[in-house]
Amino acid sequence: MKTYKFIYHYLKEDIGRFVGVVCAVIAYVFFTLLSPLVMGFIIDNVIKGLPLENPVMIPIVTMLGGVDAFREKLWMCGALLLAVSVLTGIGMYLRGRGNAFVSENMAQRMRNDLYSHLQVLPYAYHVSARTGDLIQRCTTDVDIIRRFFARQASEIVYSVSTTIIAIVILFSIYPPLALCAVVSMPFLVFFAYTFFKKMQVVFRKSDEAEGDVSTCVQENLSGARVVKAFHRERYEIDKFDKKNREYTDYTFEMIRLLGVYWSLSDLVCLLQILAVLLLGVYFSIHADLSMGNFVVFVSYEGMILWPVRNLGRILADVGKVSVSVTRLREILEEDQEDMESGVHVELQGNVSFENVHFSYDEHTPVLKGVSFDVKAGETVAIMGPTGSGKSSLIHLLTRLYEYEGSIKMDGIELNTINKTCCRSQVGIVLQEPFLFSKTIKENIKIANSSASDKEVYNAARIASVHDVIQEFDQGYDTEVGERGVTLSGGQKQRIAIARTVLNGCPIMIFDDSLSAVDTDTDAAIREELKKMGGKTTMFIITHRVTSTVNADKIIVLENGVISQIGNHEELMAQEGLYSRIAHIQQNIQRGGE
Amino acid sequence: MNDFKEEEFENSKVSASLWIKVLKQLGETKKHLIYLAIFMLMQAGIDVVLPLMNTYAINNYVGNSSVTTRSLIIFGIVYFALIIWQAVNVYFFFKQAGHIEMGFSYSMRKKAFKKLQELSFSYYDKTSVGWILARVTNDIARLAEIVSWSLTDIVWGIAMMIGISGVMLSINVKLSLLVFAIIPFLFALSMYFQKRILQLHRASRRVNSKITAAFNEGITGAKTTKTLVLEEAMYTNFKELTGELRMKSIRAALFNSLFMPIVSTCSSLAIALLLNEGGSMVIGGVIEFGTLYLFVNYTQSFFEPLRQISSLMAELQMAQANAERVMSLLETEPEIVDTPEVIEKYGDILHPKFENFEELHGDVTFDHVDFYYNENEIVLKDFNLEVKQGQTIALVGETGSGKSTIVNLVCRFYEPKSGRILIDGRDIRERSIGWLHHNLGYVLQTPFLFSGTIKENIRFGKLDATDEEIMEAAKLVNAHDFIMKLENGYDTDVNEGGSRLSTGEKQLISFARALIADPRLLILDEATSSIDTEKEKQIQDAIVTIQKNRTSFVVAHRLSTIVDADRILVLKKGVVVEDGTHEELMAKEGYYYRLYTNQFNEEQQASLLQLNKKRAKEQSQEVNFEEE
Repeated sequence: MKTYKFIYHYLKEDIGRFVGVVCAVIAYVFFTLLSPLVMGFIIDNVIKGLPLENPVMIPIVTMLGGVDAFREKLWMCGALLLAVSVLTGIGMYLRGRGNAFVSENMAQRMRNDLYSHLQVLPYAYHVSARTGDLIQRCTTDVDIIRRFFARQASEIVYSVSTTIIAIVILFSIYPPLALCAVVSMPFLVFFAYTFFKKMQVVFRKSDEAEGDVSTCVQENLSGARVVKAFHRERYEIDKFDKKNREYTDYTFEMIRLLGVYWSLSDLVCLLQILAVLLLGVYFSIHADLSMGNFVVFVSYEGMILWPVRNLGRILADVGKVSVSVTRLREILEEDQEDMESGVHVELQGNVSFENVHFSYDEHTPVLKGVSFDVKAGETVAIMGPTGSGKSSLIHLLTRLYEYEGSIKMDGIELNTINKTCCRSQVGIVLQEPFLFSKTIKENIKIANSSASDKEVYNAARIASVHDVIQEFDQGYDTEVGERGVTLSGGQKQRIAIARTVLNGCPIMIFDDSLSAVDTDTDAAIREELKKMGGKTTMFIITHRVTSTVNADKIIVLENGVISQIGNHEELMAQEGLYSRIAHIQQNIQRGGE
Repeated sequence: MNDFKEEEFENSKVSASLWIKVLKQLGETKKHLIYLAIFMLMQAGIDVVLPLMNTYAINNYVGNSSVTTRSLIIFGIVYFALIIWQAVNVYFFFKQAGHIEMGFSYSMRKKAFKKLQELSFSYYDKTSVGWILARVTNDIARLAEIVSWSLTDIVWGIAMMIGISGVMLSINVKLSLLVFAIIPFLFALSMYFQKRILQLHRASRRVNSKITAAFNEGITGAKTTKTLVLEEAMYTNFKELTGELRMKSIRAALFNSLFMPIVSTCSSLAIALLLNEGGSMVIGGVIEFGTLYLFVNYTQSFFEPLRQISSLMAELQMAQANAERVMSLLETEPEIVDTPEVIEKYGDILHPKFENFEELHGDVTFDHVDFYYNENEIVLKDFNLEVKQGQTIALVGETGSGKSTIVNLVCRFYEPKSGRILIDGRDIRERSIGWLHHNLGYVLQTPFLFSGTIKENIRFGKLDATDEEIMEAAKLVNAHDFIMKLENGYDTDVNEGGSRLSTGEKQLISFARALIADPRLLILDEATSSIDTEKEKQIQDAIVTIQKNRTSFVVAHRLSTIVDADRILVLKKGVVVEDGTHEELMAKEGYYYRLYTNQFNEEQQASLLQLNKKRAKEQSQEVNFEEE
């Protein structure tokens, strides 16, 4: 039921068009089936001079001046046939046109919805999201639904209406022979349906095997150095051959089974035609089946058997549509973040944590009662082992997660502040920043499109990346990513810093985002940032003692609690992680001399 | 990339020589192609004969009370036999086509993969993984499809058209000519449409792949989008793309739905003429009605072969680029090959004769070596170096100084343009690539693991290693403890759930892999990525372990890790500017000393001076590489 609701939701804007498609298909079917009748009419009534009895043809012929007119002007026969064919063509075109609009419009709406929905899903969703699977759903599954409306839906209408109209006409012409003509139909539909249902397993196996082949090649190429240096070419070839063989065998079996299907269904169809042929001859001799009607039967038989066979196949495929719908619904029904509610405030940069608790799941608490105060303009360094909760702590500041306890920004409880408002004032540079495949300038300006070039350059200078950018052939217009330059980790981080700097946030967070930058540059950037805005509150997660030494406050986090807090001198005077790390660094150094 | 290249070829003429070359790759599968052609000819035969049977029935049986039961029975039997023949034929046709498609693509993929194993590094440097992958998968699949299904359709189509024409001409020349008149017209129309349709489809597919890319970016970049509050802007961009796709797809679909009506109207025109002409012939008693019916039928069946031929022509034109690329891959010659004499003695890469492999001791000599990747940028010029077995040689220098090149040459990933490299006093080329690599261990800057379990990855270094040996190796490089902490221990899948293992952990596994191979020569391209201070110590210990008793070359990114090296070579533009131990070089107070101490000047931050030398040092070294 939910599947229909989903489909209807995306179809409703084009429902009129869709009805149009159904009408076009029926018209198309009608005219297609009309041509053998015209042939029959020409044979029996025009050429042989039998009286016209066919209920479909009578009004048409009468309208055109009766049978006599046709006899006198033989060209009218050809013209009538041509007219029918043109009308068929128009029906066919309208059907194709309608299908194209309905399916593409729906696909567009689905794609847009998926994209915008994904953008607004909570951070936690994206952290655990399986990118490959999501992309697969957004592309392949959308395409399955699109294809259903581009072809299969009207194909079903076509098959069903052809069968029904043809059967009605055949029964109106000659019931006993008509009975014989439809004998094999239920069997054909059933056979095609069960066969293709079963085949889906085979199709899937072949697809999976194909995927394995690609993976194998890809890994071999990415690891070429390893393969060669370890002299494992032979081993790799054998590994590949196994996958290649598997894929080949599965697919060959699939093709062979298709051969069985087409062979058997051809057999049934042709036997059916033979039966009509022989019985038709019998009726024409021993009863009153006219030659024209005989031709109608033989022609119709050829016309209906194909859609009937196809119907089974499509029905077997339709199951996929509801699977795809389910997979898309799973995405679209994920709860979005609430970007609307909450107060809008202008932040000054005072932050206070009071007994803040946080966990990703109920079993493993990440932050266990964290409290500290930061005044506007202070620099806070956060240090601690991996998994101690550093990143979580600062992620809370941008409302990427919900927390327990109290976080106050200038005295206002954080979770009452609007998310958009909060995020646009708390600038965060992630450890592995993501740059979009645009030019460097566009990347820096991405959240502040009205910034002037001068401002962009200035931000880049603050991030110590201006000179680097200028060295690229196309400077700020260099494309990032596949199409352009490959940036080093440090360069990416600095561009991301420039991007955040350009926003001029009262609170800036560096989530180990200077890790790939050398200490000099690190220091230079921090110096520039200090100069830039005396009132900017900065949080810096770092492993570097050099980066913490000047901080107003150093927080050492261990297992979700603050184990040490203070400035450099204070912490160096204490036994604890901070001085230990400092000493390890010192020891490595001394060992070197 | 794929798409852009395809475009260049879109309008080229079909090149027969290229397709012949492709067909030559059929090899064993060729006989199936002949069988398939035979089945297709028979299929055409059946398709020509079946309407004749219907006509025969109409002309001779319908309404004819003098028909004998015997003649009807014979008719029935013949028809039935045809049906059986058709059914059997269809089955074998599928089977043969399947044999060809899968046999051809299997052997092409196999050849391509084998070729890839033989190719030298210069090829990989110039060619992206994505490009090669597309050749091995998509292009080959496409060619196989064309060779097996489309090409044989042509056999059927031509046979069918010839058959129909023959029968028609033998029955009535005038009516036949009437039908033939329409053919060139139909053919031209089909050609035009098929080609246009393919082009339009391709255009829409290109936008489609942009959408996939946009989804990819939208999803992988979602966290950044969120923190920068870019949701709206991103969505606006995306909507433009979906709008473009919608437009292009609809255009292709409209063209597609125009094709059939126009073509069928054309053939109806022929049928109308036929009826006009034939009708009076029937009335005049010149021909029987069944004959007219046959002509009508045949006119309709002319269309399918025409459509298929024109669609194949369009396809061949489009697939030409695929064929060219696949063939170019197969025809690429590896730049580095062993001489026939060497292969004779040591075997080739795939069939090494281990019994003839001499022990490698580890003396490495560069003897007046010149090297460049491209002629305008000479990397090494008259380079000389002598390394004694068991030594650890650290290579220090900025990017482009030649340190990676030296390693590449030692590994024989590249060969000197002039001069020689000697191993144990003999030219590296006197023994096989396989021999050298058999004795080589390599640890990459960014660890590369294959999908599969940790155990399998370590075993990659020594295929017949026992579990105990694997554990032993892991213990020696300090990897055992963290591996045991994983849920499935050594059987943990390295790629499961994305980034389950940290870079440092992957690095340790790759150390274990190198160690278990027990190489005589070890290449260590040092990691630069930030690793937690505590893991860093483990890795350094592992490096010390793994370097014991073997000649090793370390491409140093962190000077602190090479202070124990037997020799440090400081390179500048392909020239060794300083050479000695850490102490010697520090005492010399030259370039190395400067690299090493540079950061101190900048690090006057009072109390921390003594504490953070190491970190600062390695970082300042990096900046020097970048900026000098």
